[in-house]
Amino acid sequence: MTEVVYNIPISLFSGYRGKNVIVRSYDPVEMVMGLSDYDLDHLVAVQLLSMTGNVDVLTNWGNGIPIDLLMLHPQTEFPFLYRYAKLLDRHPLRVCIPVVSGFSKAVKVATSLKLFVKLEIGQPDPSLIDEIHRVLNFYIHNPMVALPIEYFHSTFLAMYHSEQSSLWDVQEENPVNIRYVTEDGRETIARRLGTDRAEGNFDTFVADWQSSMIAEKAECYDCRYFRHCGSYFKWPRKTYRCEGVKSLFGTLEEAAQEMQGEITVLTQAQKGVA
Amino acid sequence: MFGRHFSVILLPTNKCNVACDYCFEDKTDDFMSIEMLDEIIEKLLDHMDRKDVAALTIYWQGGEVMMLPPAWFERANDLIARKAASRSRIVEHSLQSNMIGYSGKWNRLIREMFGNSVGTSMDFPNLYRRARNRSPAEYTNIWNRNVREARDSGIQIGVIAIPNNETLRLGAERFYSYFVDELHITDFQVNTSFSGGEACDAKLQSILDLHGLSKFVVDLAHIWAERGFRGGVKLGPFDQLLNHFIGDIASLPCIWQQNCADEFVSIDARGYVAQCDCWVTSYPDYWFGNIFAESSFTDLLEKSPARRKFQMRPEKLMTEESCSDCDYLSVCHGGCPVRTYSITGDFFRKDPYCQVYKALFSTMEQIAARVAAERASHTLPVMRVA
Repeated sequence: MTEVVYNIPISLFSGYRGKNVIVRSYDPVEMVMGLSDYDLDHLVAVQLLSMTGNVDVLTNWGNGIPIDLLMLHPQTEFPFLYRYAKLLDRHPLRVCIPVVSGFSKAVKVATSLKLFVKLEIGQPDPSLIDEIHRVLNFYIHNPMVALPIEYFHSTFLAMYHSEQSSLWDVQEENPVNIRYVTEDGRETIARRLGTDRAEGNFDTFVADWQSSMIAEKAECYDCRYFRHCGSYFKWPRKTYRCEGVKSLFGTLEEAAQEMQGEITVLTQAQKGVA
Repeated sequence: MFGRHFSVILLPTNKCNVACDYCFEDKTDDFMSIEMLDEIIEKLLDHMDRKDVAALTIYWQGGEVMMLPPAWFERANDLIARKAASRSRIVEHSLQSNMIGYSGKWNRLIREMFGNSVGTSMDFPNLYRRARNRSPAEYTNIWNRNVREARDSGIQIGVIAIPNNETLRLGAERFYSYFVDELHITDFQVNTSFSGGEACDAKLQSILDLHGLSKFVVDLAHIWAERGFRGGVKLGPFDQLLNHFIGDIASLPCIWQQNCADEFVSIDARGYVAQCDCWVTSYPDYWFGNIFAESSFTDLLEKSPARRKFQMRPEKLMTEESCSDCDYLSVCHGGCPVRTYSITGDFFRKDPYCQVYKALFSTMEQIAARVAAERASHTLPVMRVA
C-alpha cells in the first residue's frame, strides 16, 4: 500500500515528522529557515506559492529536493520563470500552471527553460479549449518540448500502452495518495483551483465519486475516455459539460494511435517482416 | 547562484602585444601579480564554500595572456591546485591567446595546465588584426607560423573567426576553404562582432548588413553539413545547434544561455569584476565592483546593482520584446547583452543579430531533420520507403 503524502503548510512541519510531506510556503527564506534544522528524509517536495520570493536562498540549499512552483497569474508571471531556472543545477523543478486565459505563454517559457510542467486544469471554461488545444499540439509536435507537460504526458503514455490511467493520480489529487492539509490542520483533497474541499472517507472518495457519476448516468456513463479520466472533470461541478475536454482526449488518442502505428511498422521492418 | 559549477574569465593582464583596429578592449598596462592572484583565488574559493559550488573553470584571457611568461602561469597553476585541493574543490583551466607571442617554451605549460589546447582568433580575410604599425598581412603570417608550430607540437587549436564585409563579399565557400582546406583547421567557430569601447571606423564597419550576414551563415551551414560534419570538422555554434535540434546534448555559446549572469563573471588584472571580458574591458559603468576592495566576493556579486540588471534582462525581454513568441526561445533567450548594448545603446533590447540567429536556427533545424532521418534510415530501412 502506498504511503500517504501530506501537503502541509510549513507552520505544521514539526507535527508531521516521520510522515511523507510536501511542504508549502509563500516565502523561500521561510522555507530554508524552517526546514534547515530537520531531517529531510521524508520531504517529498517543497511548494512555493509565490513567484516573487527571494529565490537566491534556494540556490545553495540542499541538493535534489524537488521544487514545485505554483503560478497564480501565468499571463503576467511567466517572465519570473527565468529567476527560477537557475535552480535546475540543484533541484528538479516543476511549474504548476493554472489553465486561465493566456496560460500558454507560461507553458512555452517553462518548456524553453526545460522545466517540468503540470497544468492545473480543473474544469476548464469552454472558452479556454482552443488555447489548451494549441498547448496540446505544442506538446505533441514541437521537438523542443523535452520534458513532460502533465496531464498530457501521462495520459498519452497510458493511451499508447493501452493502459488505464486516472487523472486523479496524474494530477496528484487522489486523496488515497495525497492529502492537502489546510492552515488550521484540516485534511482535505488536494485541489488548488476552486474552493471546494472534500471531506469524508478519503480512501474511497474517488471510487465513490465515479460510482455516483455512473449511477446517475452522467456523461461518464458511456464516455470512451472514462478509463483515463475517471470522472475527474466532473468534480466538483457535476453539471460540467465535457465536450471540450473530450476533444483534448481525442487529440491525445489520435497521437497515441499514430505513434503506435508507426512503431509497429518500424518494428516489423526491423524484424524483416515488411 | 551558479549551481554546482561556475566559470571565471580571468584577465591576468590588460596589456596586449597587438593593436587590432576593431578591438573592444580599453587596454591598460596592468599585470596581475601572484600575490594578487592568491587573494583572488582565496576569495573565489570562499565563495565556492559559501555557495556550495563544487567546480570552477578559469578561462584565461587578456589583454594577451602570453604577455606574461610561462613561469608566471606555472606558479599560478601550482598555487591554484594547492588551494583548491585544500578546500576539496575542482579547478580547471582554459586558455585563449592571439598566439602572436607563442613559442615552443609554452608547450609544457599548455600541456600540463590547459589540456594541450588553445583557443585563438583569426578572420578571413584579415582586415583588422595587426601588430602596432604593422599590416594585417604580417599579422596573419606570424599567426599562421605560430599556429602551425603549435599544431606540429601536438597542441589542439580552436579558432574564433569574425566575418567582415570582405568575408561576405567572398562568400561562405571561400571562408570555409580557407580554414579547413588551406589551414587544416578542424575546430573553429563564427562569432558576430560588437563595437565595444571607443568608437572608430573599423568598429563601425564591423557591424555588418544583417541580410548579408544571414545569407553567409546559411550558406556556411550548408557547406559544413555537406563537407565538414561527417569529416569531423567542428564548426561552432553550428555543430552545437545541430546537436540541440537533433535532441543530443548541446553546449550552446554564452550568447544563447538563458541568463549569462547565472553562468560566469570576469575579473581583470586590476581586480574589477564584470559580467564578461567584454564588459570588464569596455564599460566601467557596468562593473560589479573590485574584488580587492571587498572582503567577500559573494557579497560583491549579491550587492551589485549592475549585476542585478543582467539578472533582470531576460525577464524584461519576455515582456518588452517579441522573444516569448519566438519559435527559438529555447535556443536563444534574447541573445547577448553586450552586443545589444554596444550596438543599440539599450541594455533591455533583444540581440540586434536576432535576424541572423533566426536564419541560422531555421537552417540548422532543417539540417538536423535531414540528419535525423538519415540516421533512422540506417537503422530502420522502412523509413527510406516512407
